[in-house]
Amino acid sequence: MRILYIDTSSSYLYSGIVEDNKLLCEVQKEFGHELSKMALPEIAAMFEYAKLNPKDIDKIIVVNGPGSFTGVRIGVTIAKVYAWSRDLPITTITSLEAMATSQDEKTNLVPVIDARREYVFGAIYSSEEKEILKPQHIKIEDLKKELEKLNNYKIITNDEVNIDGEKIPYKPNILKIVTKFQNKEAINPHNINPDYLKLTEAEEKMG
Amino acid sequence: MKDIYILGIESSCDETSISIVKNGCCEISTVTSSQIDIHKTYGGVVPEIASRHHIKNVTIVLEECLKKANMTMDDITAIAVTYGPGLIGSLLIGLTAAKTLSFIYNKPLVPVHHIAGHIYANNLVKPLNFPLLALVVSGGHTELIKMEKHYDFKKLGGTLDDAIGECYDKVARVIGLEYPGGPKLDKISKEGKDTYKLPIPLNDDSYNFSFSGLKSAVINLAHNEEQRGNEIRKEDLACSFQKAAIGSIIKKTRLAIHNENIKSLIVAGGVAANNYLREQIEKLGQEENIEISFPPIKYCTDNAAMIAAAGYFSYKEGRIEDLYLNAKSNDKLC
Repeated sequence: MRILYIDTSSSYLYSGIVEDNKLLCEVQKEFGHELSKMALPEIAAMFEYAKLNPKDIDKIIVVNGPGSFTGVRIGVTIAKVYAWSRDLPITTITSLEAMATSQDEKTNLVPVIDARREYVFGAIYSSEEKEILKPQHIKIEDLKKELEKLNNYKIITNDEVNIDGEKIPYKPNILKIVTKFQNKEAINPHNINPDYLKLTEAEEKMG
Repeated sequence: MKDIYILGIESSCDETSISIVKNGCCEISTVTSSQIDIHKTYGGVVPEIASRHHIKNVTIVLEECLKKANMTMDDITAIAVTYGPGLIGSLLIGLTAAKTLSFIYNKPLVPVHHIAGHIYANNLVKPLNFPLLALVVSGGHTELIKMEKHYDFKKLGGTLDDAIGECYDKVARVIGLEYPGGPKLDKISKEGKDTYKLPIPLNDDSYNFSFSGLKSAVINLAHNEEQRGNEIRKEDLACSFQKAAIGSIIKKTRLAIHNENIKSLIVAGGVAANNYLREQIEKLGQEENIEISFPPIKYCTDNAAMIAAAGYFSYKEGRIEDLYLNAKSNDKLC
């Protein structure tokens, strides 16, 4: 069983192939604005390195947000077209779940992504990996209020966010993420879509 | 010779379209998902909303297109995709889908410029006859392009400011017509008379166009009439506007036909669906004794059949890209 993992929700490409609980290959590189151009050639290079063919994948796990809207769409488009083409089971996880899962700390974990204008995408997970606050687009002030209720917590982020508390940079543990979510229920590729957790500005103005 | 089947993908604005075309001329199947009703609410295309719909539709449109053609991806020779110009977020969905298909099925990836697509829409009707003059008129373009042979584009002139379609939509809004107002303006102008005095745009001997002055003149006229408490005669203003705008296009096109040893004239782009333009071009063709080609209405708006048609000739020329192909929102054809 070989599982392809794809996350393009930030300025980084995080991708890997896991075979029977072993990480065969991975790429973790920052591309910034070049991500949309580089994601596919980098994934293809990963296949080449592992001496694998696109036919050798049995399942796909893709991060479908929150994060950069354009970025999320790159990974989700690759994943859904891939899964549709090869008729593969595919499932989605959130970037915030991926961030929390990658940590070994035994405390409440608060993955946070900057969403500008005093907002972040954030969630809170307990040390037992239970969801205390579900992933959402939240005002920094409101997230702070949620954090006041906790005895201890650590913030996982690669962004500059104005929240007190110990901050851990995010570096994905792809093997751990894939192992945790490998049996999550598959979705029809046509229905694999980003979950932006935020309306577009035009829709917000319309009310 | 073995038949060549090109899968075309177009997502540069608000239509997700996928098509299969045989040998650059024979449309096998096309499926297009239009978002026009969604963007109507906002009075124009909202880029982020367009991108969100493209990604929702892309595999559904692809599956339907193959089903309609009774083909599988294995029957496809190469994948052609619009890489630009257009809305970057929208372009990226079609492009990423095309790159992924190219990777998975190991098929050549052929980049197609959106305007080359509009020109090659004519090849779906009859073979292009060179040397030809292509009049490209759309929401983003107003250009005169000369072609001596396949996939050889030379720009003779173009708009110095607004595109003709853009100008149409703005004028339509001033007159109070709902987005997209261009076709509605064309329709009501038939019931009007040319009674408003408007400036003739860029009345010189170049092959260039300018529509911002004409647009401002219409806006000012409407504004002044309103201040005087006069009601605008919509049909008449539409008629006067069309006469001025299309008149300028006909003048420059005629000039190019005279000077450039042109055998045939083709019209391409969304505004090619405009009835008044069609009438005037027909007339021009008769007067100049030159072959005229209009794409059928279904090929005037954005569609992937034209991308697949252009893709065939691009492929024959050996223009194949690797997975590093990127979307370009502002790329020039020539």
